[in-house]
Amino acid sequence: MKRKEASLAASLIVLFLTILLSLVFIGVAGDSLSSSISGFFKGAFGSAYSISEVFVKAIPLTLCGLSVAAGFYSGFTNIGAEGQFYMGAVAATVLGMYCPFLPGFLLIILGIVLSFLFGGIWAAIPGVLKAKFGISEVINTLMFNYIATGIVGILLQTVLKAPDAYFPVSSYMPEGMWLFKIIPGTRLHAGLILAVLSAIFMYVFVWRTWAGFKIRAVGSNRRAASCAGINVSLSLVLSSLLSGGFAGLAGFSEIAGLQHRLLEGMSPGYGYLAIVASLLGGNNPFGIILASIIIAVIQVGSQGMQRSSGVPTAISNIILGLVVLLILLRPVLVKALSKGDNNG
Amino acid sequence: MAELMDIIASFLASSLRQAAPLSLAALGVAYAEKAGILNIGEEGIMLSGAFFGFIAAYFSGSLFVGIISGALGGILISMIHAFMCIKVKANQTIVGLALNFFTLGLTSFLFLLVFGQNTKLPSVASLNPITLPVLSKIPVLGPVFFSQNILIYILYLAIIVFFVVFYKTEWGVRLTAVGENPRAADSAGLGVNATRYVSCIINGVFGGLGGAYITLAQLGYFQEDIVSGKGYIALVVVILGRHNPVFILLSAMLIGFAESLQFSLQTMGIPLPSQAFSMLPYLIAVIVLLLSAGKSSSPAFLGIPYERDKR
Repeated sequence: MKRKEASLAASLIVLFLTILLSLVFIGVAGDSLSSSISGFFKGAFGSAYSISEVFVKAIPLTLCGLSVAAGFYSGFTNIGAEGQFYMGAVAATVLGMYCPFLPGFLLIILGIVLSFLFGGIWAAIPGVLKAKFGISEVINTLMFNYIATGIVGILLQTVLKAPDAYFPVSSYMPEGMWLFKIIPGTRLHAGLILAVLSAIFMYVFVWRTWAGFKIRAVGSNRRAASCAGINVSLSLVLSSLLSGGFAGLAGFSEIAGLQHRLLEGMSPGYGYLAIVASLLGGNNPFGIILASIIIAVIQVGSQGMQRSSGVPTAISNIILGLVVLLILLRPVLVKALSKGDNNG
Repeated sequence: MAELMDIIASFLASSLRQAAPLSLAALGVAYAEKAGILNIGEEGIMLSGAFFGFIAAYFSGSLFVGIISGALGGILISMIHAFMCIKVKANQTIVGLALNFFTLGLTSFLFLLVFGQNTKLPSVASLNPITLPVLSKIPVLGPVFFSQNILIYILYLAIIVFFVVFYKTEWGVRLTAVGENPRAADSAGLGVNATRYVSCIINGVFGGLGGAYITLAQLGYFQEDIVSGKGYIALVVVILGRHNPVFILLSAMLIGFAESLQFSLQTMGIPLPSQAFSMLPYLIAVIVLLLSAGKSSSPAFLGIPYERDKR
């Protein structure tokens, strides 16, 4: 088999195995395979509302997925999108609570800028530590997730706590800051536009600008990039800043578009799921949009499947874990398939 | 004075109880990291140990069977991790995260399949403390450290064995060589991949025991995501303890102490947000990493697969 054919065949095998293994799990747990599958599709696509729920989940996933990819280009493994998400959300909340007198459009623009900066700086700290001191960003970004959720918890029990609330939640944002609903009667908000624009922005920045080229050069070979006169540290930090920025935007989008106030546990692990999204999307901005939609379909669909035939929603985590493992196995498959032909 | 001693003893005891699952898991992580295997999937290993340990104890009625199954459950996930990292040479961070997702899904999926959606959680009697003669008579420390369940004695034993292996044996030198410079280790005839596979088995055993500790010694029941981040904290413990078995126990106890302090402050009604304490270990870990920059205790080739035919 030629390399290109082998690569396609390997992708198909990965897809086939994922579906097959998922069906085995579903078959074991569900009442009947057909009711499970119809429940899955009804859950994800059955009504305008269920489709909108898919996109509601896909918005923060896309933004966090872009975050992971932006780090990946320079070799900055960002598993801290979760924490950067919360820092962006904190920035948006502080703005909304302390400057409610500003006009709506200004709140939104300032919110976008501040969330991007807060999330960005939260990622740039591990970025600087990696660039200047060679400290592994994997552990640091993970630590920063816990520190960020700790900060959110402390803020929500002190300065950001809504005066009349029993639980640790902030006040609602001024309505001018709320993003408009794309489909009235659903929860689908204009964060979708923000996510798509961000993907376009990232594509242009990384593939069409000199700074983006330098980031990719650093990612593919640090030493060669350094020899070519590229400031490796600067590119690394810039990429981590960009990376955290997108996750910060996800925090803004959830505050301004969906929740309208800061809550503990606002993200059901978007920052970690985002790593699956970026891998599944091949670290391509538009691939990440598609991957995020697929992940959201799996999650929303599995809720429908639980209603229709009692398959536990935990199935979605099983499928996502399997997909990633199988994708990581793909290079071995490609090698095996293309080698087989050379010998024969 | 006697009262103060009582308070100290009770704090020590609760720190040790919180620290035990972390230390068990962290010992395994430290071993694997010495050989160059970075395991973000520790959370999944512990969760698997917690689940299989519980389910085996529940159906066999024997906590001993539970402990063994917990270790086996840990090995199961750790071997997938080992295969993906050593044979497939995939990105170890992503493999670990994927395994965490997979195990989180699998354990709650299987749990619901076996027990159904019940309002009352199935439970087992938890491990009894065993009071050691003589040692437990030491004032203050005796009852704290030597009137504990079997897993804590396993922990003590493991700390001693790991310490000797790491610093006093040929095997420890091999381990360090494989993590610090796999090419040189390979040239010297040490089996790099074999050493790494063994390190993953050991990581699986201790991660599984750490998880089983949660279900069999602490709680006596299982529920979704019961490990709730302890696997990640174990990674922190390894950094704080700088891969040294004794320091690992001390670091884990420090984290356990922060947790117990947080509980007592809350019951005393002191209005301090609990997060102020719960985020401390992570903050300290970042500072430790920063201070040890350039002289880190992590091996040079941590997380990097060994490719014999590549320069």
